[in-house]
Amino acid sequence: MDEVVLTGLTKNFGELVAVSEVNLEVPEGTIFGLLGPNGAGKSTTIRLLCTLLRPSDGTATVAGYDIIQNPVDVRQITGVLPEEGNHTLYPSMTGYENLQYFARLYGVPEEEIDGRIEELLTFMELWDRRDDKAGQLSTGNRQRLALCRALLHKPKVLLLDEPTSALDPVAAKRVRELILNFAKKYKQTFFINSHNLAEVQRICDSIAIIDEGKIVLTGKTTELREKLHGLQEYEIRVTGGVSKAESVLKTVDYVEIQRAEIDTIVVRIRDPMQNNSKLMRKLLDAGINIVEFSEEEATLEDLYLQTIKGGAK
Amino acid sequence: MLVAMADLRMAMQVRYVKLGIVGMGALGPLMAIIMISVFVIFPTTEEETSLILGIMIPMAGTLLAVFSVIPATLIAANSLVGEREQDTLEPLLCTPLTDRELLWGKTLSSLIPSLTILLAGTAVVMIVTNVIFVLYGRPMMLVPDLAGLFLILTAGPAIILTAVSINILISGKVKRVYEAYQTSGAIILVLMIPMFAPIIGMESGIPNTSMVWTVNIVTTLIAATLMIVTWSLAVKRFNRDRMISLR
Repeated sequence: MDEVVLTGLTKNFGELVAVSEVNLEVPEGTIFGLLGPNGAGKSTTIRLLCTLLRPSDGTATVAGYDIIQNPVDVRQITGVLPEEGNHTLYPSMTGYENLQYFARLYGVPEEEIDGRIEELLTFMELWDRRDDKAGQLSTGNRQRLALCRALLHKPKVLLLDEPTSALDPVAAKRVRELILNFAKKYKQTFFINSHNLAEVQRICDSIAIIDEGKIVLTGKTTELREKLHGLQEYEIRVTGGVSKAESVLKTVDYVEIQRAEIDTIVVRIRDPMQNNSKLMRKLLDAGINIVEFSEEEATLEDLYLQTIKGGAK
Repeated sequence: MLVAMADLRMAMQVRYVKLGIVGMGALGPLMAIIMISVFVIFPTTEEETSLILGIMIPMAGTLLAVFSVIPATLIAANSLVGEREQDTLEPLLCTPLTDRELLWGKTLSSLIPSLTILLAGTAVVMIVTNVIFVLYGRPMMLVPDLAGLFLILTAGPAIILTAVSINILISGKVKRVYEAYQTSGAIILVLMIPMFAPIIGMESGIPNTSMVWTVNIVTTLIAATLMIVTWSLAVKRFNRDRMISLR
């Protein structure tokens, strides 16, 4: 069953079309990543899904509830980490008080509040800092606290807007682990906005790329990785300059030279499983001394950039 | 109530709001006591004292009402526009609170302390002035007088609620707390009418009690109308989309 369904979702701010006819389906219990550059419409999409904004056209359902018809139900079953979540805590309340306040607003049974807060703060390694004012915590700790707030009422769907932005690599890794653990433990559905491609690649089951308010690419992360094969680059390092090797490579029809540096040529090879060994032999036969022949791991970033530029549209 | 308590707590963390609540809470009763007592403590002719008390006692009620509206505007401005300015509004709007629950929470956070200030201030004025009257050999009197108490118990809460409603109404239009505070603070002008009624209505040196009553009743009607209109509009026009879009 699809937990989050966007149907022709559109949001205009005056003349500006922030989100344009977006159609997406996110299955239950999966981690979905919405990728895109700044201003692409990612945050607006999350704000539409958590009913903060009203769509100009189209609609969406979250766990079966329509965002226009049943906004209160949608808000009850979603946990939201807003953009720059670390700024959204009450600075003069302690971490514990912040969570206690929101637990009550979400209607968490009074007898469960303390236990749930302790569980989350312990998991986030913030239990010892529970009595510190939120305003006195570091950015990373505040972000983790904001994430605790989103998870407090055990929501079915989590809408996280740039969950690791402004975090150092260690804290970002911890947050990613947390997302994976929660998705596994509670079968929660995560809808994550990010421009951090490596992060999305690591944790998301499926992704969509949004640009100028429109979805330009969507699919399972594994499927998209397959699309990357065509973008795979190989680095050939040689001795004695690259000009001779370059002239040989130009005669080979399954090779496309990307760039040539002092002793290295970067190429794309069509059907590499078949042609790589053939190419090496050809170069060796031409008397070229190969020092290194290595595969440069293509990432979603390549696909992302190519998509944004229009190459894969 | 949860929202109201959290709001009030947050508001008290803002220095000028805290000073405003404490200061205005003390200033109203203090001014009223000084205004009335000074003519009792310092000797004037009996005729002059009676005349001045005839003007000052009706004014005391208005003065107390005016000083209780200021904290309401300060807290209300902080609770909506202030939350947006501090970036804490978005998570709050993401909770399952309905618009009505949210607005009641925001309203109570201003209404409760302001009404407390108003009623406690009135009680203090009533007690202190009469202690002074007794000490200086004057008969005990109702301060504020009945017309003033009527104004305090009717127009006072109505104007406080109007100030909060105006804040809700403009929260989707103004970006900064001080803009919200200044705009909603203008509602105090309504209470200027009864403030000067005892002086304007004086007839050959004698305060016109029936005119004071008339002005106070008219002020209450204006305040009640404003309260109903602004509150209805605030509830009807409250728009999460506009609150979030205006950044």
